[in-house]
Amino acid sequence: MCDEPGQAGEDIAVAYFYFDSAAQKEQTAASVLGALLKQVVRSFKQIPKEITDAFRRHKKFIGGRELQLHEIVKILGTLSSTQRTFFCLDAVDECRLPDQANLLLSLKDIIEISPTARLFLTGRPYVGREVGKHLPAGTSLVSVSPRNGDIIRYIRKKLSEDINSCEMDEELEAEILRKIPENFSDM
Amino acid sequence: MQNGHDITVSDDQAEILTWLSPLEPHLRHHQIRTKRVKDVGDWLLKTEEFRSWKNGDTQGELEKVTIFCSGNLGVGKTYIR
Repeated sequence: MCDEPGQAGEDIAVAYFYFDSAAQKEQTAASVLGALLKQVVRSFKQIPKEITDAFRRHKKFIGGRELQLHEIVKILGTLSSTQRTFFCLDAVDECRLPDQANLLLSLKDIIEISPTARLFLTGRPYVGREVGKHLPAGTSLVSVSPRNGDIIRYIRKKLSEDINSCEMDEELEAEILRKIPENFSDM
Repeated sequence: MQNGHDITVSDDQAEILTWLSPLEPHLRHHQIRTKRVKDVGDWLLKTEEFRSWKNGDTQGELEKVTIFCSGNLGVGKTYIR
């Protein structure tokens, strides 16, 4: 989805993040939103003044202080107001708890500042409650389940890569393509 | 200085970008892009929810700013593997 082109001639920015439960310690609300900001900044021809000013201000501190969450939110809101900006966050449920609430609240602030910001989130069903609580206005819910066409496409690809393909005949392939999707019907 | 944007030398640019966050999500993105079977998951891009979200069809209060894709472990939210 992130690689889908925008309409011709229009400036858009896409910023994404994939949460990973094995990397929760590093994936704080501030570092994740910072990573989104970094991608938005890259979509500009030059580094926006908001960023260079903040950088100079923070450099005065010993060791060069990092941007605080509320500063990141404010800048992201401003920059995403200048062009359509799509924020895509995968597996929100894998963000650990205090950070998850901070993240969702920050995203809410960003879409309140910016009329041109859009959010695309994925997660297990239970995290939908949190999303609904923090982003109450205008959330559309899409239920993801494996589509038959996708399963068949996937199996075909895997079968074509199978090194023991001499064991495979048309009949066996047809049976695999028929049986496997049946088992997915309750997902 | 044009349209409010400052001009910065490129050495600074890398330093500023790293300062914004040490995380590099494009590494994971590239990995998923490589592993995903072509066309799998494209059904989502054709849904009405996705299209109106992407195109920003302003139908007054009907406009949805957020899409939440919900599903259990292994259904293919990130990609089918």
